[in-house]
Amino acid sequence: MTPPDSDDPVPPARPGVRPFLQSGTQHSTGGYTPTGEHPPVEASTNTLRPFVITSGRTDGGDPDIGMETQVTLVPGAPASRLSPETRAIVALCEDSPISVAEISARLHLHLGVTRILVGDLRATGQLDVHVLDNDTPDPETIMRVIRGLRSIS
Amino acid sequence: MDFDPSANRVVGTARIPGAPEPKKAPVPVKIIVAGGFGVGKTTTVGAISEISPLTTEAEMTSESVGIDDPGQATMKTGTTVAMDFGVLTIDQTLKLYIFGTPGQTRFAFMWDDLVRGALGALVVVDTNRIDDCYPAVDYFERQGLPFVVGINTFNGQMSYSIDEVRWALAVREDVPVISFDARFRASVRDALLVVLDQALDKAIRMKS
Repeated sequence: MTPPDSDDPVPPARPGVRPFLQSGTQHSTGGYTPTGEHPPVEASTNTLRPFVITSGRTDGGDPDIGMETQVTLVPGAPASRLSPETRAIVALCEDSPISVAEISARLHLHLGVTRILVGDLRATGQLDVHVLDNDTPDPETIMRVIRGLRSIS
Repeated sequence: MDFDPSANRVVGTARIPGAPEPKKAPVPVKIIVAGGFGVGKTTTVGAISEISPLTTEAEMTSESVGIDDPGQATMKTGTTVAMDFGVLTIDQTLKLYIFGTPGQTRFAFMWDDLVRGALGALVVVDTNRIDDCYPAVDYFERQGLPFVVGINTFNGQMSYSIDEVRWALAVREDVPVISFDARFRASVRDALLVVLDQALDKAIRMKS
């Protein structure tokens, strides 16, 4: 199996939010330089920088929100005015608990951006973010993972 | 907004009467799959994951800018790295995430976030390019994260023996060096079980 082919034109979910995001799968190129001489990838319609949708915040993410942290919808949460991105996040959480990393991947949202938006939705009471009290793995949990792995073939 | 936010505030487990029960979220645990570019990290993740590996992109400067000290121009050099990951549902209440870390060598400083709370790591090695995995080995040693060196035999053969790889890496005696085939689920499962054994040892040591 090969990594997802970066040449595949992944259709933007919502034009305007994922300009630089596709550069990441080109492992060999080592990413991009956000300022400076990076050539305009696609036409000018598609060049919003990732953190524009967080109003420029890059440091507002709760450090407790990890990539694997589970997120669920708060039942009966009051409707509130949401941006397209936050609405998409809420929609993803509707069915079952989902991790921050999955939200990021499925919406093609930068991980840092996802984290900030999830934090916002938590603050406004839309989402429950299940931060673990203690992120040091305990032996019982590890034993359960071992048993679970052993049972697959 | 046309409602009084305080009236809808949910505190602790007290819920609005009549509202449906909140969904129980599983406890997530994670294992890191690391190594140089093209050694088979994504293959490893894909072999064990119950979903096709997903990719998330992270900007490496997001944690370091914005603190203060704008004078540190070097910290502003952003690099976007892609992380492939997969999921394995252990049971209703426990989910294993397997994160493949990017192949670049300049990425070590972003791993802190990734490895926090991780059970352990599998460092995937291609014997044709052993030195590609040095940054990962260095990093996990420094962090004290349990790890296992897994030689990927995807080309059917190894240019060097396990002992030679161990010698080249100079890892501690108690760090397992194993061979596995990233294409096969059972092989990846067994490699991860070795990682989990290491993780369990450490967790028991920490507890006592």
